[in-house]
Amino acid sequence: MGRRRRRRRVDPADAARALPEAIAALSQTLPAGPSPETFRRAKFDRPEAAPAFWRLLFCVLSPQPPNGASASFSPEAQVRSVKLALRTQGYPRRALAQLPDDGSQGGRELLLALAWLLAREPLPERLLAQNRVQLGDEMHVCECEALASPGPPAPSVEADGCVDIRHLQWLMGKLRFRWRNLMASQQEQCALLGKIHSYTRGCHSDRSLGHLSVTETELLRDPEGGRQLLRRLQRENARLQAALEWRRRELVFWQWMDTVLDACPPEASQPTFLPRIPTPGAGALEPLVRELQALQGELREAVEARREAWEAGVGGRGPEWSAVRTALREAVGQDLAALRRACERSGSLAQPHGPRRLVRTEAGAPRGPGLRAPEVIEALRSREAHLEVVLRRLQGQCRQELARLVGALPGLVWILPPGR
Amino acid sequence: MSIVTVQLGQCGNQIGFEVFDALFSDSHCPQGLCSKRENEAYQASCKERFFSEEENGVPIARAVLVDMEPKVINQTLSKAAHSGRWKYGQHSCFCQKQGSGNNWAYGYSVHGPRHEESIMNLIQKEVEKCDSLNGFFIIMSMAGGTGSGLGAFVTQNLQDQYSNSLKMNQIIWPYGTGEVIVQNYNSILTLSHLYRSSDALLIHENDAVHKICAKLMNIKQISFRDINQVLAHQLGSVFQPTYSGEGSFHYRRNPLGDLMENLVPHPEFKMLGVRNIPQMSENSLAYSTFTWAGLLKHLRQMLISNAKMEEGIDWQVRPPLSGLPTLGKMSLNKEFHFNTSIANLVILRGKDVHSAELGAFKDPALYTSWLEPVHAFSVWKTQRAFSKYEKSAALVSNSQFLVKPLDMIVGKAWNMFASKAYIHQYTKFGIEEEDFLDSFTLLEQVIASYCNLGF
Repeated sequence: MGRRRRRRRVDPADAARALPEAIAALSQTLPAGPSPETFRRAKFDRPEAAPAFWRLLFCVLSPQPPNGASASFSPEAQVRSVKLALRTQGYPRRALAQLPDDGSQGGRELLLALAWLLAREPLPERLLAQNRVQLGDEMHVCECEALASPGPPAPSVEADGCVDIRHLQWLMGKLRFRWRNLMASQQEQCALLGKIHSYTRGCHSDRSLGHLSVTETELLRDPEGGRQLLRRLQRENARLQAALEWRRRELVFWQWMDTVLDACPPEASQPTFLPRIPTPGAGALEPLVRELQALQGELREAVEARREAWEAGVGGRGPEWSAVRTALREAVGQDLAALRRACERSGSLAQPHGPRRLVRTEAGAPRGPGLRAPEVIEALRSREAHLEVVLRRLQGQCRQELARLVGALPGLVWILPPGR
Repeated sequence: MSIVTVQLGQCGNQIGFEVFDALFSDSHCPQGLCSKRENEAYQASCKERFFSEEENGVPIARAVLVDMEPKVINQTLSKAAHSGRWKYGQHSCFCQKQGSGNNWAYGYSVHGPRHEESIMNLIQKEVEKCDSLNGFFIIMSMAGGTGSGLGAFVTQNLQDQYSNSLKMNQIIWPYGTGEVIVQNYNSILTLSHLYRSSDALLIHENDAVHKICAKLMNIKQISFRDINQVLAHQLGSVFQPTYSGEGSFHYRRNPLGDLMENLVPHPEFKMLGVRNIPQMSENSLAYSTFTWAGLLKHLRQMLISNAKMEEGIDWQVRPPLSGLPTLGKMSLNKEFHFNTSIANLVILRGKDVHSAELGAFKDPALYTSWLEPVHAFSVWKTQRAFSKYEKSAALVSNSQFLVKPLDMIVGKAWNMFASKAYIHQYTKFGIEEEDFLDSFTLLEQVIASYCNLGF
């Protein structure tokens, strides 16, 4: 029998503090996080809360360039960007889309949108991971990051009338030169990183790393920079602790959000736009399935016809022949199995992901944790080979198309450009 | 970022020496007209680009010297070493005992493959000395035997082995009244091959430089050395360090890339010409002063009227008025010899460079219809004076400068080809009539493309 537990009376003062503390913790993990008082005002849809929340959502939803170029976005542009981003992610409430572009209203709707984003994914953790202080020299071993955040939309230039193809060729050429310059810069960066890593061998207190990174080297050379780095790390620590706080206390926030939702006037009608699903809808699959079935049927027929012709040509020849046939069948079966295994393997090859710190080791040194460069190179090479195949196929299609066009215009002489 | 220079043949080696000498002299010139810190930054940038360091402090030119005869290379090496200020690397040269007798095909099909490995190894060693490679200069003549044929072969190899690096060929356009009877054949073969494997062709016309020596520098007995020095001065005024951008005081790290991106992105338009102003003998320099307005006015007219130097400019030539029907423009162009540009790069060096007014170069009438001045015109600047000129301006232009000379050469070569004169010298070494026809096709296409710029 346990001690009779005293019923702990919840101190009303504690209960009153729990919500603002939870919100404060949340706010600290977010960029441009508003104060708990602003959250409260937003629940009651007070206009002074709106700008802070527009700013918060803009910082959360748009990939931020590191040098803080977000200042170049006007408030109206920020509002439009937030609306577009929410719609892209499938946010269902129409009321937000109808808020004015000047950013003067909408605290409550924005608060609901924030809650929606928080409920969908571990937002504070993701933001913290994205903006973390990097001590090592890092590179990404996959393209996920680059593909997921394509950057701000490029201004689309409307071509009024015809476009001179020479202008297009000019632009393509510029792009190629920039590509080559980029490669040259990257090679230079690699060479210099290699130098730093080999010159600082033995300087790192962590033996498994062995050498310093650029940031760490700068730390030693420039004390003021070192102090700034320390401050950044301390701020990051505070944010990480706030994230932990938030996770402990968030229940009271969600209970409060229920009351915010209740405070809203009922939605006039159903949302008229459906969330955009990034995969092709069911409608696109039907014709594909039909085509696949038709092709399978064709294949079956062709196989049957060939088998019959072969059997007719070979004929039944006696016991040693049936032994040969069994052996043949086995060999074919083994080939097929090997092919299937190869397909499965390449399909489910575990692709390494995310940013990794670069560590230079001596040949023959004991292997540390993490990826080795040859593995990454191997994965990249197979990916490159795959892309080459796709490129060749597309080029072949283009050539066929060109040949078709050439055929359609007799009397025209095609001169190929000077290439090799 | 560093540039590796490949000096080919007699022409390439003699000019290469003058280029490095001019670059070195300028970077150590005391009359830079700028602060000490700026001067040091300029020197450091020039040094990183063109020289590497050895233990005893004498800078070594980032160059590979190639020739089939030893005479010129030995002269070049000793001239550099005697100066005591800079030198060539001890093992940076490749030569044989026997020349190629002005035979392009021999240079391309025999010397090239035979010595490919040695030459490319030398280049590789030079590349490895660079922290980062900006690209290659290849200095060669267009109409000779060794320089041209071998040069075309080497450029092709560089394209294969260093496909991501930038390559600019410095081509010496021969005198119109040259002595080599097959020089036009050599020229068209060189040009067509380089068009396929090089990124940019910076062309220096012997006739033009000769006139500069005679009229502007007042040299009585013009030697090859004088011509080469003027040429070196022109190259230096383009490739010495400049600021990386408007309002920046850091020196540009990627001059080749920036130049090519702005001037030669289109695969059919790769021919560039250089003009610079002022150009005079050192004695006259002390007595002259210049204004940016005056210099730029002359430079612009040189561009429009296709003048080679600042004397004898035809001021009658004017840009065509916009709004004229196309045919009207064409006849006007033909009458007044207006030179249409695709893209231009102006490089300004010297005092008060930021006050120079460049609006006249941004006139759309100067450029072809499919490229706007904002994309077609770029400018590089530095306050640091070049080679004792208080103010100097250079123009690198992708324009119709070379259409007429090219057309003449192709015409003459075609006339010879039509009667199959001297073809056996080429077919003997593997250059077939097919190759000649390919070259003619390519160059006719280039001429046509440049002529169509007026529309």
